Amino acid sequence: MTESYKNTPPAPEDKGAMTAENIAAALAGESQASQKYLAFADVADAEGYPNVARLFRAVAYAESTHARNHLSVLGGIGTTAENLKAAWGGETFEIDEMYPAYDAVAELQGNESARVSIRYALKAETDHQDIYDTTLKGIEGEKDLDDARVYVCPICGHTVIGKAPAYCTQCGTTAEFFKEF
Amino acid sequence: MEEALEKRLPKTEDLGAMTEESLKAAFAGESQAAEKYLVWADQAEDEGYPNVAKLFRAISFAETRHARNHLRVMGGIGATADNLLAAFGGESFEVDEMYPAYHSIAKKQGNNQAVRSINYALKSEVDHKGMYTDAREQVLDGKDVADQQVHVCLVCGHTVIGDAPDKCPYCAAGKELYKTF
Repeated sequence: MTESYKNTPPAPEDKGAMTAENIAAALAGESQASQKYLAFADVADAEGYPNVARLFRAVAYAESTHARNHLSVLGGIGTTAENLKAAWGGETFEIDEMYPAYDAVAELQGNESARVSIRYALKAETDHQDIYDTTLKGIEGEKDLDDARVYVCPICGHTVIGKAPAYCTQCGTTAEFFKEF
Repeated sequence: MEEALEKRLPKTEDLGAMTEESLKAAFAGESQAAEKYLVWADQAEDEGYPNVAKLFRAISFAETRHARNHLRVMGGIGATADNLLAAFGGESFEVDEMYPAYHSIAKKQGNNQAVRSINYALKSEVDHKGMYTDAREQVLDGKDVADQQVHVCLVCGHTVIGDAPDKCPYCAAGKELYKTF
């Protein structure tokens, strides 16, 4: 490792299809570990283990740094305009293909819980697709979004710019539970 | 919040194998979207778009909720002792199998940035494995871990209980690049 490599995340390097496949799998693994640990931290808090909760949150953050490094190697960190396009593409795939297909399977197998989880996600992804579309148009004119708050429902992920609704339109959660950004 | 979720998204005993496969894939997708959006938020900030950055962070949180809902329906959120065991299992797989295999392929294909990204992750996963083992022993005795800060290197994910070192042993980042939990 040369000195210039230190202190910075790895740079993009397009060399070896198998390596790219592996780094993509590692990105998936690290991302999932991070999400699991955040969920486990909340359980630890609820069970009265605040220091275990802190450990889970810290390790979740470490996994996020690994995910970012892998994403960087894959060339997945572009300009904001490129990132918004990629984000829009991901949401669009989920809305047009992935969630409808999964919902059909869950319906066939009569799994109501899975259907709720899928429906919550699918509806919120529609919000995201719209928002990314509008935002990208602004960025292409080098204009930032308006300085408005963003509210997210902690149950279903419904996302609104401006003001939280009195009740979540997707799942009925009340305004005071929405997380403000 | 947990009670509201328990009512709407009960764990399913018999998921249906295809439904389980769908939820696993959806969990992987949401987890990766959440991580990517956080990285892209930093990029938007660097480019002078603070409100786009805020939007990416908000939507990342929404994806976190979806990931958690899917995980919950799959029965992937247990008691803390179980969660620590699952976390240990995941780290062990990465340490013993996944990263060594990926490392040997990346090295063979001469992808130095991938090797670097893999090394950063592999080294920190070893730390995590040890921490989860210790924490589980405590929790099985009904005890929390000690009330100590945890520091995480934001370049490579090196995780240490107690004070941050002057220099990261894995990537040489300075103390100021550690995040405190």
